[in-house]
Amino acid sequence: MSEIQNLTIPEIATITEIKDEIVDVRTFYLSFDARTGGEAPKIKSGQFVMCTVFGAGEFAVSLPACPENDRFHLTVRRVGKVTNALHALSAGDKIGIRGPFGNGFPFEEIKGKNIIYVAGGIGLIPLRSSIMHVMRNKDEFGRILLFLGARTPQELMYQYNLEEWKAAPGFETYITIDNPVPDWDGETGFVHTLIKKKNIPVKDTVAFVCGPPMMFNAVIKELTEMGIGEENIISTLERHMKCGIGKCQHCAIGRTLVCTDGPVYTYRQIKTLGEQI
Amino acid sequence: MYLIKKSSVLDIARELQKEYRVYGPVVEKETRQTMFTGVEDAAELDLNAPIPAMPPKHIVFPHFERIMSYTYDRAAKKADIRPDFDDSRKALFGIRSCDLTGIICLDRFFLGQEFVDEVYRNHRKNMFIVANTCTVPFKQCFCVCTDSGPSAREGFDLNLTDLGDQYLVEAGSEKGKKLAEKMGLAKADDSLAKRKEAIIDASVSKFDAIATDNKAWISRVVNRVTTGLIDEKVWEYIGNQCIECGACSYVCPSCSCFNIVDPQTSEEAADRMRTWDSCSYEGYSRMAGGHNPRKPVEDRRSKRFFCKLSYSQSKKYLRPGCVGCGRCQWVCPGDIGLPNVVTYIRRDIQQ
Repeated sequence: MSEIQNLTIPEIATITEIKDEIVDVRTFYLSFDARTGGEAPKIKSGQFVMCTVFGAGEFAVSLPACPENDRFHLTVRRVGKVTNALHALSAGDKIGIRGPFGNGFPFEEIKGKNIIYVAGGIGLIPLRSSIMHVMRNKDEFGRILLFLGARTPQELMYQYNLEEWKAAPGFETYITIDNPVPDWDGETGFVHTLIKKKNIPVKDTVAFVCGPPMMFNAVIKELTEMGIGEENIISTLERHMKCGIGKCQHCAIGRTLVCTDGPVYTYRQIKTLGEQI
Repeated sequence: MYLIKKSSVLDIARELQKEYRVYGPVVEKETRQTMFTGVEDAAELDLNAPIPAMPPKHIVFPHFERIMSYTYDRAAKKADIRPDFDDSRKALFGIRSCDLTGIICLDRFFLGQEFVDEVYRNHRKNMFIVANTCTVPFKQCFCVCTDSGPSAREGFDLNLTDLGDQYLVEAGSEKGKKLAEKMGLAKADDSLAKRKEAIIDASVSKFDAIATDNKAWISRVVNRVTTGLIDEKVWEYIGNQCIECGACSYVCPSCSCFNIVDPQTSEEAADRMRTWDSCSYEGYSRMAGGHNPRKPVEDRRSKRFFCKLSYSQSKKYLRPGCVGCGRCQWVCPGDIGLPNVVTYIRRDIQQ
């Protein structure tokens, strides 16, 4: 924990820049008022923060920034009251941040293994941090494959990073959209069908999967049928959260709390916890 | 151990009033219900009053509480946050062992896990607790099944036991001892410890005849609840009986789920409020956008009993989550208070 206490009371941050991503999704870059140089708290890839929009409320949001060298930012789709209020803000406005909370991705344990990322739509947001980390430390891993799906080309997240990832040596990047459209010459069809078509490594492989429940279930089915073990499929779960520190209990799944025991789980854990994704 | 005459037992409360706001059992004149509430006049307190309708949980974990307030000025690009924690001096006088066990559960949950809950810690910081041994059970009691009564073993500063014409006063902490010494209470003979044991034994033996409403052999179901080896039909029946009123959570001494909302107090100011919540509500796990991982009501009901009876949750409380007060059974319109649920599960196991 940092010396700045923000477990219960948020610390104030300033929105320095806002970037439009896709429809209804924006990225907010932040600087932290009480810290030297506005520097952000240290994060682990896979963690989340609680974000306060003054006058509206607080919500849990994953951290897409690379833990090593990235400006601290949140990418948020507007869906409810608080996220809509956030989207109404402009650069210079203040918000509140608590955290970061949660366990993060288990990079130490998966060193030397092949990595497959499968993201559907805005499921790429929590995985971005992990992808950026892996790209910086490519030598520690085997083959690295990215499978990204979206409904339309306009709904592909982080367009500016996609180019970078496609060009990155050692990265095998596949992008697909659900249905063919006139000016799209890439892959089409659901992302789980794309996995089947490509020659993916199965031995010593870890898959990071994130996306809407329907897509998640289809991808899991595909991966396990191909022979990737349930303990080697990693995802990050989304739940209704109020405190982030294991007290309000809203995010309880079985015996665990997503905020303190998660949000990163293996599929084996998710299955034994006995709740829908 | 000390002694105090029965007629002067409220002097302890009066002594506490010098330093603390004193809360205790008061019988409401109109409704004749017992409420555990703050008093100005110690004479209102009644140690013989029946078990309070609501546990004193609300004193350490208020139903509705402001934890901070803030102002924000968008034009000037300014925001200001003021934490608002309540660390006022409070004394609980005459708390019964089931309710005290509830507070012990909350202590371990809020203070003993990975993170400490600041709001709760402040409530507990300056607190004095005087427990009261139940020499006679009430109709709905089953603390003997949950190992939380009829007399408190820990968590108190002073514990009172009715010996007939006087109260035995045991100190459970330095703070308690100091108060007893300051009041100049008479030292009690060691033999009275035996007498207290006999009183507790007598109290336990009265459960069969008096506490007839509820029995809950929870040890029989802990394993099943933990492993989930319970027929879906049992939860389905329980789910069908639940009307999602949330009363069980509200009256439970160990239920501590909360919600957080930011109601605006003016154009540019709001309070952050922490309020009680209940896992029986449909909106409890619903996320923005409408996705709800827990849909059917039986799914939500099984969560509550997992919290009270599973081994996994007991590890957080270092005991079962149920304290045997019987209030959920008392208030539940669907007849699925915890003792009944235990019975349904046991029936299923036997089949």
